[in-house]
Amino acid sequence: MTRLAIAINKHRCIGCTTCSLACKMQNNVPDGMLWNRVLTENVDHYDDAEGVYPNLSRSYLPVACQHCDNPACQRVCPTGATYTDDKGRVEIDYDKCIGCRMCMAACPYNARVFNWNEPVRSTGFNYGDARVPARGKGVMEKCTLCKERTDEGLEPQCVVCCPGDARIFGDLDDPESEISKAIRDHAAYVLLEDKGTRPKVHYFN
Amino acid sequence: MNATQTRITYGVLGAIVLAGFGCWVYQQMGGLAVTGMNNATSWGLYITMFMFFVGLSAGGLIVASSAHVFGIESFKKVALPAVITSTVCICCAGMFVLIDLGGIQRVWQMLVSPNVSSVLLWDMCVITIYLVINILDLVWMKKGDEAKVRKLSYVALPVAILVHSVTAWIFGLQIAREWYSAIMAPIFVASALDSGLALMIVALLALEKAGKLETGHELIAKLARLLATFICVDAFFIGCEVLTMAYPAASGAEALAIMTSGVTAPYFWFEIVGGLLVPFLVLASAKRRNSYGLVGLSCVLVILGVLCKRVWLLFTSFVEPNIFGAGGITLGNANVIAQQGSIWTTLGTYAPTAIEVMVVLAVVALGVLAFMVMSSKLLPKK
Repeated sequence: MTRLAIAINKHRCIGCTTCSLACKMQNNVPDGMLWNRVLTENVDHYDDAEGVYPNLSRSYLPVACQHCDNPACQRVCPTGATYTDDKGRVEIDYDKCIGCRMCMAACPYNARVFNWNEPVRSTGFNYGDARVPARGKGVMEKCTLCKERTDEGLEPQCVVCCPGDARIFGDLDDPESEISKAIRDHAAYVLLEDKGTRPKVHYFN
Repeated sequence: MNATQTRITYGVLGAIVLAGFGCWVYQQMGGLAVTGMNNATSWGLYITMFMFFVGLSAGGLIVASSAHVFGIESFKKVALPAVITSTVCICCAGMFVLIDLGGIQRVWQMLVSPNVSSVLLWDMCVITIYLVINILDLVWMKKGDEAKVRKLSYVALPVAILVHSVTAWIFGLQIAREWYSAIMAPIFVASALDSGLALMIVALLALEKAGKLETGHELIAKLARLLATFICVDAFFIGCEVLTMAYPAASGAEALAIMTSGVTAPYFWFEIVGGLLVPFLVLASAKRRNSYGLVGLSCVLVILGVLCKRVWLLFTSFVEPNIFGAGGITLGNANVIAQQGSIWTTLGTYAPTAIEVMVVLAVVALGVLAFMVMSSKLLPKK
């Protein structure tokens, strides 16, 4: 089996949001939404600091689809539009999506975004990888783990573009892969472990 | 009601239905962006009304089938109008789910590519079965086929309870949200019982006023006493849930604070006071149960209380995201973004638009219209 995943070194994340933009560009993500967000943790405004001067700290948390091994979104989808593929990626078949948004309520990570309106792009034209299928109004979308790239053995665009080298892409089922080693060596954790969704995306410091 | 008044009522309701249909067409053109829903609050007024109408549908069928299952002779008299309200409400509920879909043109995928683990699929199946039972009940009652009606009642009663449970599980089985609670199905059944019975009593009072059916003070008082009991059951379940959330002062406390003193607090407190306490106190006295005015008022309060419950129950879970941080969630809906001036929100935000409200009014008007037509066709002429 193959279980493709990303591990994020939070200590190396500088909150530059390059991953968000690389993702948006690669996947033709419409205006008003992102597949990959970078959160400033425990504050109300982006780039704010936590604590009281002079004891301040600041940390970032990049969040996209966690590609769970036990995906809550997939279980509730009435048409099977959300599925796990042979590489362990949680994907959406846009032709089957009826726009009921069960998956959106089910995802504990707010990873999913919906085309409430006909997708608008400030460029006025489609951008990114031409192989990425277009999504219409009334359809759910989210991080595909750059399916089109990872199918070819390339890394997802957020991994390639991260200037802090904070992201590691690889196969969790290969114990010798860089990602497996990093998860072991740094005692990596997953988000909201108590929800039991068993995310494949890992974080470490 | 004389013929002119009836015609005017039909005309007004018809106009509302047409206007709402126009709004729905507009929604198909512009997408769900014409509603206030967004990526943070992904369900809104339509799903609130869906829950509400599934519940309203209960009372009728449960009372009608109890008449046969438990041999309550006096209820048989109102079985037919009860099943009419039940049929109309379940059709409205089904319409609200379909209206809420972003891609209704692909809804046939539910039939050709069903995912059996999806609660929404279960709901489609159980609502269909429930509707068929209602229609069979109507047909056999009209024909006066007592034997068939009695047999059907033994199926109708459990299915009526199941249809509300499955609707509850759409929310109650979602581990991601505060809805995740085993009491969700009992709470839904309890509020279905009180709001459904209240609606049925309102319908009976209206039919009596219109001179179409003579229910009589004795039966209304009896139904009102049953309603008072149902209100207690509902209040008990809510109490259990609130205590479970509050006692550890831990993970449930945030959601509880939103309910009791946050954005959904007006709805919560209206339900507790206006929807449970006041109607119970009114209906607790045998003397007051004999007054049509007081019974009617209590019923309307119970119905409004349960509507408020749907609101606090649904939206409280959308306020605080599990993973909190700035900027937050990208709203996605172009119209909401234009209003807020940012694509970001750290907390869930929602306000229904005029389009949504109009569509909801139209479905309700269609329900009233269907009830009027069906009761004039099906109820025996005096």
